[in-house]
Amino acid sequence: MRPKGRKGAALPLALPRRFDARVALRMAAGFAAGLAFWLVFAPAYERAVAAGAGVLLRLVEHPSVTTLGASGGEFRVDRSDFPPASPRPGLPAADLHFNFVLLTTLFAISPHPLAPGRFARFWLAALLLYGIHVVALAFQVEALYATRLGPWSEAHYGAVARNLWAGGFHFYQVAGRFAAPFALWWALSAPPMPEPGS
Amino acid sequence: MRSASVAAGAASPRRRSVLFLVRFVALLVAFYAVVAWNPVNDAVVVPFTAAIARVSGVILNALGEHVSVAGTAIRSDRFAVEIENGCNGVEAALLFVSAVLAFPAPWPRRLAGLAAGFLAIQALNFVRVVSLFWVGAHRPALFSSSHTVVWQSAVVLASVLLFLFWASWSGRKPAGADPKHAA
Repeated sequence: MRPKGRKGAALPLALPRRFDARVALRMAAGFAAGLAFWLVFAPAYERAVAAGAGVLLRLVEHPSVTTLGASGGEFRVDRSDFPPASPRPGLPAADLHFNFVLLTTLFAISPHPLAPGRFARFWLAALLLYGIHVVALAFQVEALYATRLGPWSEAHYGAVARNLWAGGFHFYQVAGRFAAPFALWWALSAPPMPEPGS
Repeated sequence: MRSASVAAGAASPRRRSVLFLVRFVALLVAFYAVVAWNPVNDAVVVPFTAAIARVSGVILNALGEHVSVAGTAIRSDRFAVEIENGCNGVEAALLFVSAVLAFPAPWPRRLAGLAAGFLAIQALNFVRVVSLFWVGAHRPALFSSSHTVVWQSAVVLASVLLFLFWASWSGRKPAGADPKHAA
C-alpha cells in the first residue's frame, strides 16, 4: 500500500513504522557499539578536541596565551601567564562528549544503518558533533576564565563577557549536549519512510 | 508540468523538516532562557528538584536505604548525592517539549503529548535517581559511568523515543476520519 501524505501533517522520519524487537535490538547494538568506540577512542578524541579548541581560543585571545591538553579524563588548561608553581585547572572531559553515544544510538534506529549512504551521513554527523565539542570546550575555558579565577576574572571580563561565556556553556550543559545529537540525526538521516498518518 | 509538481512534492517534506529543526532550536533556546533565569530557577526549578529529592527519598526508604533529604540532597550513612540541573529531568523535558511544540500537529494532541511525555520522563527520572543512589551506595566504582553515560543517555533517548512515538501518533487520522467515508 502506497503512503499518501497529508498536507502539512507530518515530517519525513527515517524510522521504521513500528518499534518492534528488531528496532530495539538495533538501538541496543548502536548504544553498545557507540559506547565501546567512545571508551576506546576517548583519550585520542579528547586530545583532538583540545587541539581544535586551542586553535579557536587563540583566534579570540589577545595575546594568545592558552594551551589546552587532555589526559586522565580531563582537559588541562594552561596559560603562559599563570605562575609556574600554580596548579593548572582541569575540566571533566566525558561530560562534554559522551553524547557521541547518543548519536550512534539514534542513527541505529533507522533501518539498515550500515548501508553506505547512511553510514557516510553518520560520520558526517560525528564530524559536525566534533565541531560542536570544540566550540563547547572553548566556551567552557572562557567561562572558567570569566567566572572562576576571582579578582583576575573581574579585572579581565566585564558583565556582558561573563554572561556570554558562562551562559553559552551552561546552555550546552543543560540543553545543547542532549539536543545536538538529536538535531544532527534529524537533519542528516535520510527520509525513506512513509509519512506517519498514511 | 508533471516533473515540476513531483519536484515540489519532493521538496516540501524536506522544507518542513528544516522548518521543524529551526523551530525546535528556537524553542529550545527560549525555554532554556526561561529556566536559566534566576527568578524562575529559584521559584520553580529548585523547588521542583527538591520535590524530586523528597519523592526519591521516600522510594529509597521504602527500599530500605535509610536516607534523609535536605533540599536537593539525599544522604545516607554510605553515600550522599546532590540532584542538580541535568539530573532533574528538566533537560530531557526541555528537549521533548521543544520537539512537540515544533512539530506540526493539532493542539489537543500536542497538549496530550506534553502531559503524557512529561509524566513519563519524570517517572523514568525517579528510576534514574533511585538507581544511581543505590549504585553510589553499593557499587561506587560504577557511579561515574552510570551517571554520565548510561543514565543521561537513557533519559534523553527516552525523551526522543517518546517524541517519535507521539509524532507518529499525532499524524494519524482519528478513527472515522477516512476520506472515503467522509460526507
